Amino acid sequence: MSSEFGERDLPRFGRRFATFGVIGMLLFTVLAGRLFQLQVIEGEARAANAEAARTVAVALPSERGVLFDRAGRPLAINMPTWTAAVRPADLPESRRNAILGRVSLLTGQPFEALAGRLDAYQGSPFDLVPVARDIGRDAALLLEEEAADLPGIELQVTARREYLDDHGAPDGTLLAHVVGYTGPINADELERLANEGYLPDDDIGRNGVEASFESALRGTYGSELWERDATGRLVKPLEQTKAPVAGKNLVLTVDAGIQRMATDALLWGMREANVSQGVTIVMNPQTGEILAMVSLPSYDNNAFAGGISDELYQSYLADANLPLRNHAISDIYPPGSTFKLATGLAALQEGVTTPTQRWQTYGCYQIPGAPAGDCLYDWNHRGFGKLNIVEAFAISSDTFFYQMAVHLGVDKLARWAHALGFGAPTGIDLPNEASGIIASTEWAHSQGRAGVYTGELAQAGIGQNVIAVTPLQLLNAYAALANGGHLMKPMIVRGEADASGNLVREYAPQVLGEVGATDENLRLLRIGARQVITTGHAYNIRDLRLPGSLAGKTGTAEFGLPDANGVLPFHSWFVAFLPSAPGATDSPIAVITFTYHATVIGNVSTEVVKYFLQQYFHTSQDLRLDPVTLRQLVGGN
Amino acid sequence: MGVAVSTIAVARQARWRDFDWQLTLYLALLLGFGVVLGVSAAWNDGPVPAGTIPEPVKTVVWSVVGFTLMLVAASVDYHWLRTFAVPIYVVTLGLLVMNLLFGSVVSGAHLSVSIGGLDFQFSEISKVLMVVVLAAFLASRGQRVGKLSTILGAGLLTALPTALVLRQPDLGTALVFIAILGGMLFISGASIGWMALLLGVAIALTPVALGVLAEYQRARLLCFLDPGADPQGACYQLVQAMNAVGSGGWLGQGLTAGHANQLGFLPVQTTDFVFTIVAEELGLVGGIILLALFGLLLWRMVLIGWQARDSLGRLVAMGLATMILFQVVVNVGMVIGLLPVTGIPLPLITYGGSSTVSILFGMGILQSVRMHTRTETF
Repeated sequence: MSSEFGERDLPRFGRRFATFGVIGMLLFTVLAGRLFQLQVIEGEARAANAEAARTVAVALPSERGVLFDRAGRPLAINMPTWTAAVRPADLPESRRNAILGRVSLLTGQPFEALAGRLDAYQGSPFDLVPVARDIGRDAALLLEEEAADLPGIELQVTARREYLDDHGAPDGTLLAHVVGYTGPINADELERLANEGYLPDDDIGRNGVEASFESALRGTYGSELWERDATGRLVKPLEQTKAPVAGKNLVLTVDAGIQRMATDALLWGMREANVSQGVTIVMNPQTGEILAMVSLPSYDNNAFAGGISDELYQSYLADANLPLRNHAISDIYPPGSTFKLATGLAALQEGVTTPTQRWQTYGCYQIPGAPAGDCLYDWNHRGFGKLNIVEAFAISSDTFFYQMAVHLGVDKLARWAHALGFGAPTGIDLPNEASGIIASTEWAHSQGRAGVYTGELAQAGIGQNVIAVTPLQLLNAYAALANGGHLMKPMIVRGEADASGNLVREYAPQVLGEVGATDENLRLLRIGARQVITTGHAYNIRDLRLPGSLAGKTGTAEFGLPDANGVLPFHSWFVAFLPSAPGATDSPIAVITFTYHATVIGNVSTEVVKYFLQQYFHTSQDLRLDPVTLRQLVGGN
Repeated sequence: MGVAVSTIAVARQARWRDFDWQLTLYLALLLGFGVVLGVSAAWNDGPVPAGTIPEPVKTVVWSVVGFTLMLVAASVDYHWLRTFAVPIYVVTLGLLVMNLLFGSVVSGAHLSVSIGGLDFQFSEISKVLMVVVLAAFLASRGQRVGKLSTILGAGLLTALPTALVLRQPDLGTALVFIAILGGMLFISGASIGWMALLLGVAIALTPVALGVLAEYQRARLLCFLDPGADPQGACYQLVQAMNAVGSGGWLGQGLTAGHANQLGFLPVQTTDFVFTIVAEELGLVGGIILLALFGLLLWRMVLIGWQARDSLGRLVAMGLATMILFQVVVNVGMVIGLLPVTGIPLPLITYGGSSTVSILFGMGILQSVRMHTRTETF
């Protein structure tokens, strides 16, 4: 081509042009080839990666199982609770204070607290930051109404536990130690339980059945696949990948009505005798079912469920009577004369005495091998003459049982104590159960000692010094006596229920083991326990008209240091069961009361059990002793 | 440029029957493609804030303006460009200086100057104007075009605007300038030997150039070398883009249904990463169709260059073709992980009024070349 301007055409244009075209086509071919590689060859893998980047599994919480008492009364239920939360990314900075101020006004929570919680938050601005918890239904409705004017504020509805008493009123103190409470999971638990699907803002059972049946109550969280955008905000649910499985509803063995009677009786006794701590447990000795378990003082588990204030929590911790502890299972005490069951059974089984053999009792028993005059007193300081084992049990002669223990030796005594369930947890499904202490050679070695002194052994025979038990262990031992020698595992949960509290699956009672004593020896001790009521010093409880032949044993256990008058403080025990006839094994009920640091001479625990039985059997009698009489009674064990 | 007087003397009538309707059709199809993608991208973004016009509507308006400008440019004999080459160059530099002085950052380093409520990205028109300037310069070299001085002269002419856009720092436009320079030198018949030598020197200076780059630009380059290096950070965009492209498959997920697009995994979806929408929502078929449209457009452009009656026309046509080819290859190449992310828009598809109007204006010059091609005898 030529130009009319006299310019020559571009040199080498033809070849350069062709080269340009070829390069252009090559480049387009490379682009198309790469597209084919990405979209067809690697397409599925890349689509999967993209899918993973834009979806997120969101946990679907399961509904926590509710708790009923054995009569079908709801004891722990789920209540909706509303939380005002802020999504920082949606909160306009210019209106921040105005919006938070409005939320403060509607919820009645101080502005500084709301702003503080928001400022303290460090995570993604697209996550919800709870700023006002448990704001109440009315405040939630008001916030809902003004939602359009409150950008960045969102309402969350979550379930909170509410604990009820026997009348359905929101009062958890009646059963706080049995039911327990839930509270926010802590960092350590979260790490440990992450595989079980716990989430950072989950609640977890903290005490009582709430803790011991945590996994059954919690159920299994489901999972839902959500589409999320690049900022992490959830856009829409795609599919439910796993349906949540609601927690199991449980029926406790406890009857809230019986719990109320036991609590009222114990409160009355503690008030009359000026006692600060006490335990009453009611059990069915045939099955091991716990019908009531009272540990006083109690605490308000509803306060925990709603997020306990530091002030209240500190006051619980500072209380010398340890209201947060379940004294019925977590604390150990010397059982005193109630332990003569173990010593007596061992003496009969090991042939130390025959049922009819009569032993001299003393005002003060000379410890064998000890210097003369080194003796241990009977409780009346005079002795009771010659007694056989049933008489000695009924009258609770200390010097009789010192002799039994000394003749048995510590390991045979320990063997029969263990056979009755002492020295090991009963296995009740409640957290923090103590083992207790039963003296033995092995125990002495574990304490770095060669053995147990004879004086200690003699005292062990009457449940003092080197013997310590939980109230539940002691009741369970007497339950085994009452049912003919079966050591039952105490039950706290009876089974699973439907939503209305009807039992749909009953848990079978479990036998921990057989005591292994002969029926005759067990019967002798049941007769002895009956005579405690009829001829012993359980005061006027014998006059109570009950549908059976009440049997039982008192106990007074000295502990600690003597007061100004040289008198040791003491615990008082009374454990009882009610067979249809003396010596029978059909007792439907066994009761124990323990009062800590009694300051009157009479046995307060016997009075408490008496008052409980009066209510339980709706007797027309009221044989409770007035405090003056109680103080004037002759002490006994 | 001593031939200016004769240029005026031979200015002639435009021959509208030679107006390239095919070229116009491909332009319109590409712009339409861009509008559809813009609608799809904004589909789930919720209502547009009051008082603002949606991007696709703006694109349509700018396209009308651009086509009008194209007709105006087509009607003017392109030989006038040689006459005004020097003023055009001065204006180009002036626009880029204004951009530097008064520009405000739009996204990254794309500066725009606001005049009367409208934002102008002068770097866009400067690319077209530089094609004109270089075409005039190279055409004027005549027989001396093979000399080193041609390369040095053209290089100097390009160096000034390149330095100005690098100051912004707009690496993408600078690279387009250099590509235009290279393509036009090649077409002009400049010495391959000298060009190769200078290219070698440029490559040797690359480490120095890397030092000049901003931190984010370096990070993007490193991502290209190893996309797995920092998938949540600097390489996030690239990894997401490649996965989005991959999930398109053969036919794509459908318009308005691309997950990555709709969920905002592509933060600059309608600008630098617009091709990912094509690939994700329309699949390999859609991507090939778009590339084919660009191929057809380029075919018409180089055909005009081939048929041009003089070197000025050829150089203008091939310069513009180089610009389009380079931008398409680099933009698509970066989205599919073949080239580093540099922030070069996809012509006519990437949202932007300045770019659209500038390119259509350039195409008007191209039409002028075609309409003034027939050798006339007086």
